This record gives sequence, structure tokens and C-alpha cells, in this order.
Amino acid sequence: MTARAPVHPGELLLSLGLVALGAYVVYGTGGIAETQSYAKIGPRLFPYLIGAGLTLCGAVLAWHALAGGWRNVPLDQEGHDTPDWPAFAIVSVGILLHMAVIGWAGFIIASTLLFVLIARGFGSRRPGRDAVIAVLLGVVVFFIFTLGLGLSLPKGPFGGA
Amino acid sequence: MDTFSALMSGFAVALTATNLMWGFLGVTLGTAIGVLPGVGPALTIALLLPATAKLDPTGALIMFAGIYYGAMFGGSTTSILLNTPGESATIITAMEGNMMAKSGRAGPALATAAIGSFVAGTIATILLTVMAPVAVEFALKFGPAEYFAVMVLAFTTVSAVLGASAARGLASLFFGLAIGLVGLDSQTGQARFTLGIPELLDGIDVVVVAVGLFAVGETLYIATYLNRQVDKLEQMKGSIWMSRGDWKRSWKPWLRGTALGFPFGMIPAGGAEIPTFLSYAIEKKLARHPEEFGKGAIEGVAGPEAANNASATGTLVPLLTLGLPTTATAAIILAAFQQWGLQPGPLLFQTQPELIWGLIASMYVGNVILLILNLPLVGIWVKLLEIPRPLLYAGILIFATLGAYGLRNSWFDLALLYGIGVIGFLMRRYDIPVAPVLVGMILGPLAEQQLRRALAISQGDLSIFLTQPISATVFAITALVLVGPPVWRRIAARRAATR
Repeated sequence: MTARAPVHPGELLLSLGLVALGAYVVYGTGGIAETQSYAKIGPRLFPYLIGAGLTLCGAVLAWHALAGGWRNVPLDQEGHDTPDWPAFAIVSVGILLHMAVIGWAGFIIASTLLFVLIARGFGSRRPGRDAVIAVLLGVVVFFIFTLGLGLSLPKGPFGGA
Repeated sequence: MDTFSALMSGFAVALTATNLMWGFLGVTLGTAIGVLPGVGPALTIALLLPATAKLDPTGALIMFAGIYYGAMFGGSTTSILLNTPGESATIITAMEGNMMAKSGRAGPALATAAIGSFVAGTIATILLTVMAPVAVEFALKFGPAEYFAVMVLAFTTVSAVLGASAARGLASLFFGLAIGLVGLDSQTGQARFTLGIPELLDGIDVVVVAVGLFAVGETLYIATYLNRQVDKLEQMKGSIWMSRGDWKRSWKPWLRGTALGFPFGMIPAGGAEIPTFLSYAIEKKLARHPEEFGKGAIEGVAGPEAANNASATGTLVPLLTLGLPTTATAAIILAAFQQWGLQPGPLLFQTQPELIWGLIASMYVGNVILLILNLPLVGIWVKLLEIPRPLLYAGILIFATLGAYGLRNSWFDLALLYGIGVIGFLMRRYDIPVAPVLVGMILGPLAEQQLRRALAISQGDLSIFLTQPISATVFAITALVLVGPPVWRRIAARRAATR
């Protein structure tokens, strides 16, 4: 048996987050206008149930986290002791940058940036190769989805529109 | 022979050139994404939802069903050669099949998985054909109270029974139910939990949630925790074909696996985990050489693979006849029905018989195509496993962002996608199951509708759920399912202690 710390901060934080979300759902439900003549069947009933359920689950999980940890968590998960936070950051930047630029730079440029950054996050050392693949993939996907499937995607500066 | 003629007219729909094309596309795509680690059927169908909204529903649904069971075939290839199970249901195949591959028997392992999946898929489709009309007959007696009761049962089994922890499963379910609340109330038009953001008035799209959890969350998780691990791809050595002895050892496990898998898929207990584990245990018990288990016994691949496939088909019974999804993929398929304004259930069998029976008939055809795709052509699919990980996940994210952005060309959906992705990352890290989120968010609004209808009929009297015989029975089963296992464990522990 691996020795475990008595309190698991991550588990506790997540549990408390659930409690907070549940409390918010209950609180927010109070602000929904009741229009039905029977209060029991209006738009508030179901959210109250869900808010209560969330709070309860969060409370039980918080108690588990304080009392020896969540139940039946696989102990020997590979890699959990050595998280690669720079990789997490690079992947995140890739997704958020894509979100920021797609509107004006267009689908192909935004996707290329995304592709190169994600590949970098996964340890690729060949940004040039990645960029070439990204542009090819972006162009093919763009035309399949816009011409073939009728989806509208932003063209960006090269689209002429 | 009413069912028979219905099925025959279904074949008339399934065998038209366009629908054959959709079916072929579906099973091919399904095999490919089943083989690729990091992509699953739920994610793929979710990504295709916006692009298929304008297509004919019959063709698109035939394709989605093909993706669903095609992924089961493809998934076994990856488990055997790579030992990275894509889903919990393929853990067993990964274990036993990978052992076979290590000892140079990758070919027979792949063959018994593919043929077993074909046998199980075909028998399960026959059972689906026979069972669906019976279930429909039964479902026609259902009123709102009964529907609400079976939905609560499905919620319970999906979240509390499967998986390691009932508390985490239920937390995941309630989180999904809370997501389902966002938007306009379907009955009164009241805005709920929209935080004053106009984009949220339409609710949170299932595509954003599914893609966020499965693609973005998974990518963040692999990049952070598993990227330093090196996967070892087993080579395909020797013949793909099974020897006479392999056949002899495989056919009974195939049939037993099917017999286990289908009922488990059909009752709203969802998931193929339990039947695959049961099948493995039974084969080990019945085998002539139980000592081979754990070192590459062909029975340990044949049985669980058949169980896995049969249970996937079995989940279509509650999905089509009651509108009850019990897996993440089934939930997405339900969302697909909804995007054309169709609600699976007994009425759909009457209003859209050619769609439903065309879909069922297409599965007979699809299983044959899959056998061809997965046996002689398995070498092509293995090539997919050689895609370097950075390029694979970068590609997945291109499609993920495209799916979210393509909904309405709004950056807001991409922000939401990343937020849900981070939640998915945390859920994966802390071993919280993801499927209940999707079942909750898609089935939640329907459950609420039935609950309010039932209470409107009874004028707010909650006892309606316990005075109607069917709903009372279902609630009793739910209580049993929820309370039974922990009580049973406690009794067993006490017995062990006194001994």
C-alpha cells in the first residue's frame, strides 16, 4: 500500500467547487419567475432538485477527501507524480490563441497556429514540418466543410471576401 | 410476420445506393476512429452533428450507427497491438490480446476479435429486430410517470452502479443535469441560468460539451501526464488467419459473450464493462487451460470482444424504443435524432417506420462490411497507429475547434469549449466518469418535461409515481440498484469477519 496524505487538497477543492456550484444553482433558481399556477410543476422544481443533488454529492466527496481520500481511486496512475505543466500551458495557449484570431485571420491561419502549438506541446521539435502539414490539412478541411457540407467558416485575408 | 415485413421494407431503404454509401462511410470512419487512440465514437458523431443537420436523417443516422459499432471493431485492433484501451470495456481485450500479440499471435487475436464482433453484432441485430417491437408494445403503455421512472433508473445505473464510486458518478450526472438546465425553459420560456449572456439563451450545445470533454480534456490530460510514456506497437507477425484449433476454442466464447452482452446493453444498465468482465471470468472458469489466461488465451479475447459488441447493439433497444440513452455515444445519437426534431420512442416506430427499420436493416449490412474491412484490410488500419502523437492530437484539436466554431461562428463557443475541456481534464485526473455528464445533459430536459407532465396530471401530487404499478416497480428497482450493492458488500464483509 502506498502511504497517502490524510487530506487531499485537489480532491477537497473539487468537492468544494461542486458544493459551490450546487449552492449557486439553488440560489439562482430562486430568481426564476414562477409562472405556473401550481408552484410544484413550474420551472423551479427541477433546478431545485439538481442544486440539492450537486450540493449533496459535493459534501459527500468533501467528506471522503478529508477522511482518507476519495474511494477506489486507482493508486498507481502513470505520470500523475510528474505532471508536465509547460505542456498544459502550451496546449492551452494554442486553443485560446485560435479563439482570439479565428474571427479576423480566418480558419486556415488560426488552425495552423493551433496545430503547430499543440504539436509543440506534445514535444514536437519540427515546427516547419508541422506548419506544412497544418496548412495542407487546413485547406483540405476548409474546402470539404464549406463546399462539401455547406458549413460557413471564416475565410480570412486570403479568401478575397 | 409483421416484424419480418417491416424488416424487409427496412432492407429496401438500407440497400438504396445512397444509404449503402452512408453506411459504408459510417463503418469505415468508425473503424478508423476506433483504431486511433484519443478519438471515440461519441466525439466523432458530435463533430459531425452540425455538418449533417441539413442531410436526410435516414442516411445520416445510418452513418452514425455505423460509426458506433464500427468503432467497436476498430477499438480491438488498438487494444491488441498497443495495449492502450480506448474505453473501459476494452481493458480485457487489451490485457489478453496484447499478451497474444507479444507472443507473436497478433494475427489470430485480431481475427478472433473481428469474427467474434461480427458474430455478436449479427446475432445482436437479430435480437434487436425481435425485441424492438416487443419493447415498443410495452412502451406504448407508458405515461409521463412511467417515462420519468425509467429515466431515473437510467440515471442511477449510468452513474451510480458503473464505475469505481457512486459519489463521483452521481456528481458527474448532476453536473450534466445542471448543464442541461441552461437556456430557455421548454414549457414556460423562462430563461434559466443564462447569466445575462445572450449566447446562453439557446442552451449549451451538446457538441461543445462532448468535444470539450472528449477532445480538449483528453488532449490536455495526455499532454500533461502521459506524453512522456512511450507506447510500444506490437508488430503483425505471421498469419492473420486462425488455425482450426483457434476456431474450436473461439466459437463458444463468441456465443456466450453475445448472450451476456446483449441483455446488459438492453436493460438500462448501460456500458459494456460488466458483461466483458463477466465473460472473461466465465471463459477462464470453463477453459481447459485456465493457466493460459493472463498470458494470451484466445478465449479471453473472443468472449469479451463478443460481449462488448453485443452490448453496444443492445443499448439501441432502450434508445430506439424508449428514447433512453445509457452510454455517452447513445446520448449523442439521441441528440442527433433531436436535431431533426425526431424523438426516439414507440411513436417513432409508427410515424417513421422506414427510418427505424432502415436503420436496423443497415446494421446487418454494416456488420458484413466491417468483417471485410477488419480482416483482409487490417494492415491499412494498423498504419494509422504509426501517426506520431504530436500530429495526431494537433489534428484532433483542429476538428474539435472546427466542430465548436462551426455551430454559429462564435468565439464564445470556443471559450466554452476550453472551459469544459479544463473540466474534462480535471475529471480525467481525479477519476470522475464523463459519460454521466452527457447522459444527464441530454436526458435531463426530457426527464424534467415528463416529471412536470406527470405532476400536472396528478395536480401536484407526488404519490402518482408510487401508485402507478409500472412506475412504482421501476422506482423499486432503482432503489434496489442504488442501495443493494453497498448493503451486499457490508453483509459480505461481516460474514468474512465472523468466519
